[in-house]
Amino acid sequence: MAAEGEDEAQQAVAVEEPLDLVRLSLDERIFVKLRNNRELKGRLHAYDQHLNMILSEVEEIITTMELDEETFEEIYKTTKRNVPMLFVRGDGVILISPPLRAGI
Amino acid sequence: MPLFYSFFKSLVGKEVIVELKNDLCICGTLDSVDQYLNVKLNDISVPDPDKYPHMLSVRNCFIRGSVVRYVQLPAEEVDTVLLQDATRKEVAQGKQPQKSAS
Amino acid sequence: MALNSLEPLVGHNVSVVTADGRVIVGILKGYDQTVNMILAQSHERVYSSGAGVEKVQLGLYIIRGDNIAVIGEIDEEMDGEINLADIRAEPLNTVVH
Repeated sequence: MAAEGEDEAQQAVAVEEPLDLVRLSLDERIFVKLRNNRELKGRLHAYDQHLNMILSEVEEIITTMELDEETFEEIYKTTKRNVPMLFVRGDGVILISPPLRAGI
Repeated sequence: MPLFYSFFKSLVGKEVIVELKNDLCICGTLDSVDQYLNVKLNDISVPDPDKYPHMLSVRNCFIRGSVVRYVQLPAEEVDTVLLQDATRKEVAQGKQPQKSAS
Repeated sequence: MALNSLEPLVGHNVSVVTADGRVIVGILKGYDQTVNMILAQSHERVYSSGAGVEKVQLGLYIIRGDNIAVIGEIDEEMDGEINLADIRAEPLNTVVH
């Protein structure tokens, strides 16, 4: 009986495949990089094998690049917005980074 | 039943904003959802109708799941603890050696 | 089921937004699992910022589901109130996956 309990406990923390790292991030603030220069920070509440996700207290940052017509300098602009609760479709996800350190 | 399919079913009747991969945002009442996460919205509106008058004569619409980027959800209708438990359960189920289809 | 909710639209006027940003209006004749669609007596509504909406007759069209973003039920009353010639807007963006 005791052994069975240990097995279960181990299964809960074991990291065997990439998505296990995502499971350990549940209820934590994570960083998500998406296609088209979009980034999200938010608290993870749900995900599936496609990396569909539900995040709360989300900050989205979109980076756009413009070329200065005279100097041909690349000017990067960021737009920020906040969304209380957001479903993110997994096909746009490039990477997920586990819990953010304090202050981020 | 897949996690997000059943989640969206629980939101039927609630207001959501669907943001598409063509940057169009459509606000409306969630009428139904299917296994592909296609959604049907009723009584739709577009936040910026001057820029996007393309949907002016449409009241109800079907959105193909594959063109959805985000869905903004009513935070007060989402039970985050329940979601986290359901996620852990679904992940554990996926890891079990496949028995018979249930 | 969202897919089943297309059934009552058969025989009615619908507005289809395609992945390349076009708007095609026609009578829905049929559809399948992947949202392939058949539209009869269809026309495209071409939006531009420099002129009113231009209607281009297309006739019978089959549109592949992969290229469909949104299918809207045309509300005939609302559609009748809109003067397309007065509407100026950029065409919709393409869907970027």
